[in-house]
This record gives sequence, C-alpha cells and structure tokens, in this order.
Amino acid sequence: MSQLTIDKVRIAGMSACVPATVEDNRTLPIYKDENEALKVIASTGIKRHHKVDAGVTASDLTVNAVESILHDLGWEPQDVDCFAYVCTSRDYIAPQTACVLQDRLKLRSDCCVFDLPFGCSGWVYGMSIVGSMMSHGTLKRGILVAAETNTQNRNPRDTTVRPLFGDAATATALVFDSENARPMNFMYGVDGSGFDAVWAPYGGMRNPVTAEALEEKEVSPGVYRRGIDMIVNGMDVFGFAIKQPPRSIKELIETFSIDVETVDLLLLHQANKFIDEKIRKSIKVPAEKTPYCLEEYGNVTSASIPLTMVSRCREQLAGEPKHCIACGFGVGLAWASMEFYAGDVIISDVIIY
Amino acid sequence: MNIQEFIDNFAAQFDDTDAEVFNADTKFKQLDEWSSLAALSIIAMVDDEYDVIIKGNDIIESDTIQDLFERIEKKR
Repeated sequence: MSQLTIDKVRIAGMSACVPATVEDNRTLPIYKDENEALKVIASTGIKRHHKVDAGVTASDLTVNAVESILHDLGWEPQDVDCFAYVCTSRDYIAPQTACVLQDRLKLRSDCCVFDLPFGCSGWVYGMSIVGSMMSHGTLKRGILVAAETNTQNRNPRDTTVRPLFGDAATATALVFDSENARPMNFMYGVDGSGFDAVWAPYGGMRNPVTAEALEEKEVSPGVYRRGIDMIVNGMDVFGFAIKQPPRSIKELIETFSIDVETVDLLLLHQANKFIDEKIRKSIKVPAEKTPYCLEEYGNVTSASIPLTMVSRCREQLAGEPKHCIACGFGVGLAWASMEFYAGDVIISDVIIY
Repeated sequence: MNIQEFIDNFAAQFDDTDAEVFNADTKFKQLDEWSSLAALSIIAMVDDEYDVIIKGNDIIESDTIQDLFERIEKKR
C-alpha cells in the first residue's frame, strides 16, 4: 500500500470564493414538475449551487480567495514560497494557470508554482504534494488552491449533472512549523479502468476537437451533450463511491492505528448525501462529526472538502487542534484519504463574487 | 443466492409500486417508478445484501429481475 507521513507542516488559514449567481434545483427547467425536483433533492441533499457567469473562470474566483486569506493572515504575496493550483477547468490549454496566477497575485518570480489537474480527490492529493515539499523546511509558506467551475465544462441541458455540480475556489495556507505541527498521514488509490466513468472524451490529444465534437446531440431522452462536455456515468460512479472510499478510510485507520472515537471531524468529498451517508455509516462516525455543505453549494469537486471546512467548521477549527479524517474520491477514478490535525486556523468569510 | 429473497429485496427499493408486481420476469425498467435514483438504490442494496458492486452496464443490459440476479451470481 502506498502511504505517506508528512511532519512539520500545518494549516494556517483557509478561504473560499463562490460566484454570486445561484441556481435553485426546485425551479430548474429540467424537471417535469416540482415534485420530481424535490425527489432528487431528497436523495442527493443538494438544494442549490453557485454558477459562474459567462467569462468568469476558476482563476478569477481563486484570486479573490487567495487575496482574502493573505489579508486575513497578514501575509504579503511576496511571502509565498510555493503555490499549487488544483483545477481541471484551466484558463488556457497552455500555459499552466498557476503561471498566469503568479503574475495576477504578484507572487515572487522565484516562487515554486504549478498546476495539479486533479478532480474530486485533488485537495487531499494536493495537501500531500505541497505538504511533502514544504516538510523539507526551505519552503516556509505555501498556498494550495482547489478550484473548479464545473458548470463550464458540463452541458446545461444534461439533466444527469446540472442539479449536482457547482463552482467554487478555495485557498488553503500552509506553514512549515517544526514546533506545533502534528504529522499528516495519507493513503492513495486509483482505478484507471474506470477512466470513462467521469470524463470528457473530446478536446485532448486522443480525440481532438472536431466540428462534430461541438455539435450538441440528444444522447438519451432529455439528455443533451457535445463531445467536449463532461460525462458522469452516475451508476458506475455510485458503485465506485460506495465501495472504495470506505475501504480507503478503513485502510487509513488500520495503517496509522487511528482510534475512530477520537476523530472530531470526518470531512468527505461532497459527492451527494446518499453516497456520503453510506460512507459515514460504514466508518461508524456520528452525523454531528460529519459536516456537509453540499445542500448549499452542490458538488464542487476538488474544492468541496476545503469549502466544507471554511463554510461549516470555522469555529471548531479556530480553537484547539481537531482530529480530522478527510477523503476525496472521483474522476480518475482516483481517491485519497488523510488523517490530520487542524487548530488555530484563520478562516475568512466565504466571498461571493 | 435465493431468487425469491432477491425479488423481495428488489421490491423493497420501491415506495409506490406494489410488492406483488415484482417477480423474476418483471421488466423492471418499464415500471412507472423506475428512475436513475431507483437504479442507485438497487446498486446499494446489492452491495449491502450480496457484497457485490454491479456496474451501470449490468443494469442497462438486464431486462428482467432474473437477468440481473444471474449477473450478480456470476460476480459473487
């Protein structure tokens, strides 16, 4: 099993930014009546989501989130030694969005910046990558962004995804701290045979964009997509999500001898309530220790765990360190689980942009 | 695996369809109450009761409850 322990790095601050426009699932034009909408809401737990207007990108939301946490921590952009951008809705095919953001955020020209094109598992993977680099001790301050504009790469006439996914950007500020940080533990997982459970078939090098890939087609009754749109095969994702995340968290618990009774927060990727509750119950963590923000923001892929912490755990994380388990899972298929402690975390208000 | 028990478990996933409607030959995707959410309930039930994760194709390619039952048996 691939496992990793990182020491001497802790979360100092967190922030999030969501676009101002809200889509209410009760009134989406994709249902035959409100009853049908309520049924879906009851099962998924997702009531609404925030959606960017045309022309706004994940990096625009990111600038707001990063500037907010820098301000609240009293950091200057020049203080940042490492900047990682977890996102698949990139600004341009080239270059990496992190390079564009270095200039927009006025980060140093010798700052270590890079993109990490992960989906739902991205915040946990990103914590392990940035945390690992910083644990060497020379990169003292880092920012891990987890951002996505899911409404831009999915078709609004695809009834299977529109009620579920939203847009958000989050920033997690990390510091090298050899005195107060406690070890963070990670476990990883991947099943590339499920690459087409969540995917966008056209637009990469395997299937380049053609005129046909831009044509919208009715792929099943009421479901419209272009070749470049993201496809979510709900049944396969569901089968994966009720099996691998619980197994991964159990592996984490066993490998690192975690006493589940001492866990204060179970932070799950906000897939949907049906899936997440099945995971929670199989790990036997009580409901009050498992915060949700999906009812308000939907599934915001890699941003969902940090958005949950920012919007739902501010007071808890401001005090004594809390014992946390997080699990991100989805597109890849890829997943990762982590154990960490978070306390004295400065959390900015959620910014509406 | 017992087919009658599977039919009962299958029927339990439906709120508005009478349990008597369900038998081995029921073409379940033709039921009024069949939906993508019902499909997820079936996948979850099969995981809980039989410790098997079925795929979307197992449901798509099954017409009757018997068809799905046989696919699950092969995976056990």
